[in-house]
Amino acid sequence: MPKQLLQGNEAIVMAAEVAGLKFFAGYPITPASEIIHELVNKKHIKALQMEDEIASINAIIGASLAGLKAMTATSGPGFSLMQESIGLAHMMEVPLVIVNVQRVGPSTGMPTLPAQGDVIQCIHGSHGDYFPIVFYPNSVSELYQYTVAAFNAAEESMSPVILLSDGYISHLYETIVPHRDFTIKPRSRPPLGTGNRHFTGLSHEDSVPQTSDADNYRRLITRFREKQQMTARRHNYYEYLECGKETDTLLISYGALSRAAYYFKNDFALYRPIRMFPVVEEIKSIAPRYKRLLMMEMNMGQYAHEIERILHRDIEFIPILGGRIDLKEIKQKIYGQ
Amino acid sequence: MDNNSRFKRYLKLDLLPTPWCPGCGNGIALKTICQAFDELDLPKPGTVVVSGIGCSGRSAGFFDLDSVHSVHGRAIPVAEGIKYANDALNVVVVSGDGDLLGIGGNHLLHAIRRNTNITVICYANEIYGMTGGQVSPTTPHNTKTLTTPQGNPDYPTDVQSLFKHRNCFFARTTAYHLNHMKKCFLEALKFKGFSFVEARTMCIVNYGRRLGYKNSNEMLLHYKEFYKINDNAEELAQNEIGILKSTPVS
Ligand SMILES: Cc1ncc(C[n+]2csc(CCOP(=O)(O)OP(=O)(O)O)c2C)c(N)n1
Ligand code: SF4
Repeated sequence: MPKQLLQGNEAIVMAAEVAGLKFFAGYPITPASEIIHELVNKKHIKALQMEDEIASINAIIGASLAGLKAMTATSGPGFSLMQESIGLAHMMEVPLVIVNVQRVGPSTGMPTLPAQGDVIQCIHGSHGDYFPIVFYPNSVSELYQYTVAAFNAAEESMSPVILLSDGYISHLYETIVPHRDFTIKPRSRPPLGTGNRHFTGLSHEDSVPQTSDADNYRRLITRFREKQQMTARRHNYYEYLECGKETDTLLISYGALSRAAYYFKNDFALYRPIRMFPVVEEIKSIAPRYKRLLMMEMNMGQYAHEIERILHRDIEFIPILGGRIDLKEIKQKIYGQ
Repeated sequence: MDNNSRFKRYLKLDLLPTPWCPGCGNGIALKTICQAFDELDLPKPGTVVVSGIGCSGRSAGFFDLDSVHSVHGRAIPVAEGIKYANDALNVVVVSGDGDLLGIGGNHLLHAIRRNTNITVICYANEIYGMTGGQVSPTTPHNTKTLTTPQGNPDYPTDVQSLFKHRNCFFARTTAYHLNHMKKCFLEALKFKGFSFVEARTMCIVNYGRRLGYKNSNEMLLHYKEFYKINDNAEELAQNEIGILKSTPVS
């Protein structure tokens, strides 16, 4: 397999094709637009520009139910618009892949600059309780690899899987080997038009709405959580680098910013979640080896709060805001010089 | 099954009764849709119904077909996704006027533009029934509702105007004019391209009774007296029902 120079967003498209993508609906937005630009030129993929992100997510829900592997791609503003129907896809158990190439928010923010401000929106953006699987790679070759994983996890869990990226890694060019030796999951249920099933956003049992049965609702939510956890265990992705020398510090980061963290590998141990949610269990056994937990994120501590909650421990937190990843500044913040 | 009850094969009879109030017009429209399906002998595997949210939105679940009950306002893009994924399917949207013209109005505009080959049946009851009777995009001017206690200051959406100069199908009908309703549904279902039927249905509980109607039959009689059939109109007058002439019949 020859090496190829690819942009992050191009790698997502290439991998989606390998994973069996057949339907895409989206709405233009920086820094995700290259994905739709690439897809409209693919012969065996139907790619549509819809009137907005709400139409896009609902069209891929329809297409997925009708039998095609389906994806959309957006950035924060569009991701916010999709939230209600992401909940619908969880309730109706619709396999989807949703790519969110993050930019600086809130609101229109800094459209061309990378951020990690949508981390918590991934798990709490829609109303009610749901348990999404979320991957966040940090390189072009990882975008390729985990896009395929996202499609497989979507079929295994029958739920919308979120692939996080950011304006930095999605616009990065790197050489990768786009191999094809993946196991690709087939579709998980017969397509629409073959039975008399009813797919509903109402609480339900065997296709029939149950709008006032608390016991049934509790069973439904418990089943949802269990199947998400079961699928997640099959996709247990993280990176842990022990330090060559004795250290009491674990530096935690992910996505674009984790590339800057590698600079500190000789001073600290490094931990990087790739499966962001459900949170990888191993952090519970890794963290106790270190007296000091240091974390940096391109937000005000969204994932740090989550890790603190899980570990019942305080974390020293360094926010890297406004889309600027400047090594000199990071060093200053870490070493305090 | 005799000819008159053959339409029932499209319904999940064991799920009846519907959650609709006694006297609600939705049941008339639901039955007439099934009669139209039956007359066209639409294949059961091969036909899909999509609804949004509202009293009308509960329709999808009663069809003995694969069906989707999506979120409020989004039935059309879900249906378009289904149709684009599998062109062989008959895809029918059944939903309310608040759902399709209010919160989902933008999608309607663009489905018309794309001329997606689906049929949309709108139960236009002039009110948000499910949420208790608030003003809707089809509520007439000056009409009192929960959220327009002084009377609706606005004028209703002229749905047909969206279809002008478009290669799509538009018809308006009422729950009183049963034969006409069935004819509109049949023509809409046969049409190759985007078809839309604005079906006037009665909401007695959260609308009619507040306007002074004693029962839904009185609302039906109002349809009978008010509406005249004009199936060859350039443009339907306010008191006309019919199929727009600009509509190319397939
Ligand atoms: C996003 C969202 N907003 C509001 C609601 C509450 N809601 C449920 S049904 C409805 C109105 C339905 O009106 P219409 O479509 O005319 O249907 P009808 O009940 O009259 O048949 C509203 C506002 C909702 N379900 N979702
Ligand atoms: S509230 Fe109105 S629209 Fe809803 S079921 Fe009752 S009569 Fe029908």
